[in-house]
Amino acid sequence: MSDAADVQRVLSGDVDAFGRLVDRYYERCARFAVRMLGSRDDAEDALQATFLRAYRSLGKYQERDKFSAWLYRILVNQCRSIAARRNQRERVFVREEAVLLNAPDRTPNWTGEESELVQRVLAELDPLLREAFLLKYIEEMSYEEMSTLTGVGVSALKMRVKRACDRLRARWEYIKDE
Amino acid sequence: MKAHPGRLASALLLTLMLASGASAQEGRDPLMRLERTARYSVEVLMDSARLMGLPTRPIESKVLEGLSKNASPRLILAVARNVFRSLRDARAALGPKATLDELDAAASALRVGMTQSELGQLGRSQHGKLLTVPLVVLVDLISRGVPRDTASQTIFQLWQRGAADDDFLGLWRGVERDIVSGADPGAALLNRARQVPSREPPPVSPPRPE
Amino acid sequence: MSDELNSIDESVRLIVMEARRPVAIDPEARRRLAEALRAEPAPTRSSRVLSWFVEPRPFALPPFTTAALAAGLVGIGVLTGIALNRDGRAPTEQPRAVAASSQLPDSVAPRAIKFVLVAPQAARVSVVGDFNGWDSAATPAKREADGTWTTYVPLRPGRHIYSFVVDGTHFVSDPSAPIAPDDGYGQKNSVVVVAGASS
Repeated sequence: MSDAADVQRVLSGDVDAFGRLVDRYYERCARFAVRMLGSRDDAEDALQATFLRAYRSLGKYQERDKFSAWLYRILVNQCRSIAARRNQRERVFVREEAVLLNAPDRTPNWTGEESELVQRVLAELDPLLREAFLLKYIEEMSYEEMSTLTGVGVSALKMRVKRACDRLRARWEYIKDE
Repeated sequence: MKAHPGRLASALLLTLMLASGASAQEGRDPLMRLERTARYSVEVLMDSARLMGLPTRPIESKVLEGLSKNASPRLILAVARNVFRSLRDARAALGPKATLDELDAAASALRVGMTQSELGQLGRSQHGKLLTVPLVVLVDLISRGVPRDTASQTIFQLWQRGAADDDFLGLWRGVERDIVSGADPGAALLNRARQVPSREPPPVSPPRPE
Repeated sequence: MSDELNSIDESVRLIVMEARRPVAIDPEARRRLAEALRAEPAPTRSSRVLSWFVEPRPFALPPFTTAALAAGLVGIGVLTGIALNRDGRAPTEQPRAVAASSQLPDSVAPRAIKFVLVAPQAARVSVVGDFNGWDSAATPAKREADGTWTTYVPLRPGRHIYSFVVDGTHFVSDPSAPIAPDDGYGQKNSVVVVAGASS
């Protein structure tokens, strides 16, 4: 069952078909939101807002667009606005928070410590760099897709991804031994 | 606020007396309080630093700070390693002519996420001025939430345009005040940076590409 | 896609592999979403009139509200500033400090730097830093009648890292001085750069 077909079903009255779309994308979106926002609570808010928004504006979805790209556009914007609201709440910036996610360890090779360090080093990236990095390497989007999604040009996005990699590489050396 | 020389003299005498007491204590091994295994590793680290021509005082100071703050030996050792690494990288970025203060400040900048290439840009020294204050301000601004790119590029541009220590400190005070009043850190910096007078004509070669 | 990964640095690759792992999401959140969706009217193709409000856009405000909202946001910022102390913390008995000031003109000799902490609740305050081996007994401050604690420390020209210690255990950075970030011990410190012809 393709995404576009499921959208059609929802618009024709089969609202349960939206549940299938949510099932298909929830975990992936959750992963992006958590990596982007660094906080499970904020990520949950972003997910809720994203899927509600998607549901409400499903009528605007054009079949020629990839559903995932359309959905991600909403997700990225929701993450941005939650981050902006959060910045206003926490105006005085004492230090970058190392956010502990305690995601349960599924593979024995990775320790919980690695997970925490990775999340910390991601959190230290400037938000626009983090966003570009996640879309490129975690969501594995093409630069063209990213460009459509964010409204930013391909070369600027490439620069952001490159800068993100530079910073991550530099940062990792320092924090991995802590 | 300027102090009166007369009052200052007696206060100075008193604190100098206290200070001499403290340094007598340091004469015995200051790292003595560190657990034996960790202490051994730290001493090896400091020997390496000496061999490489790096200052050891910042490493020792970090260890003492950790002891004062009741950090575990394992953590103290990890922090000491980080300081050593950052000093080494700072030296590589700034070159042999950097002063100890500049090295220290640069090492701190690396530890908050500046890259060596960004430091290298600053290291192309301007008119014999020291990098210490610009780096201190840079590190502070990043700690307050200014995005690293914004902070790095803004400080670099001011530095290139010949901004002096007082300019950087004035900038810092203004940005700090703005942030406390609720301004976005990056925007506050860009805004205040515009108000810093340019003391030199901009360099003939174009600024580095974004 | 894995070819692209080969071209990036090993440490970044590690970060990517870790970040690609699924995250744990509270099933409660999933349930909340399902409920919220059930409460929604079924979506239909919407008319053009409403399109601006429902169509997903890059984060932006409807044009006619931008100015008003921006003004409102500035207002919120200023109000917050008034409600908080200079250092951004809510007014409590939290200690605050007045700027350490650099005093005299150029020389290499140490000069007395004044450190002040406003801490009326404190029983004792001292200054610690790289100049006294972080020894909280080395540089005690003297309490004034108004609850401020003051001390003078001879410091050579150059960069020094310091902190206040309240009641022997509580490390407090100087809110009015540049931040020396936490290097792993859990608190940030403060920086003073003493002016002078430093070597």
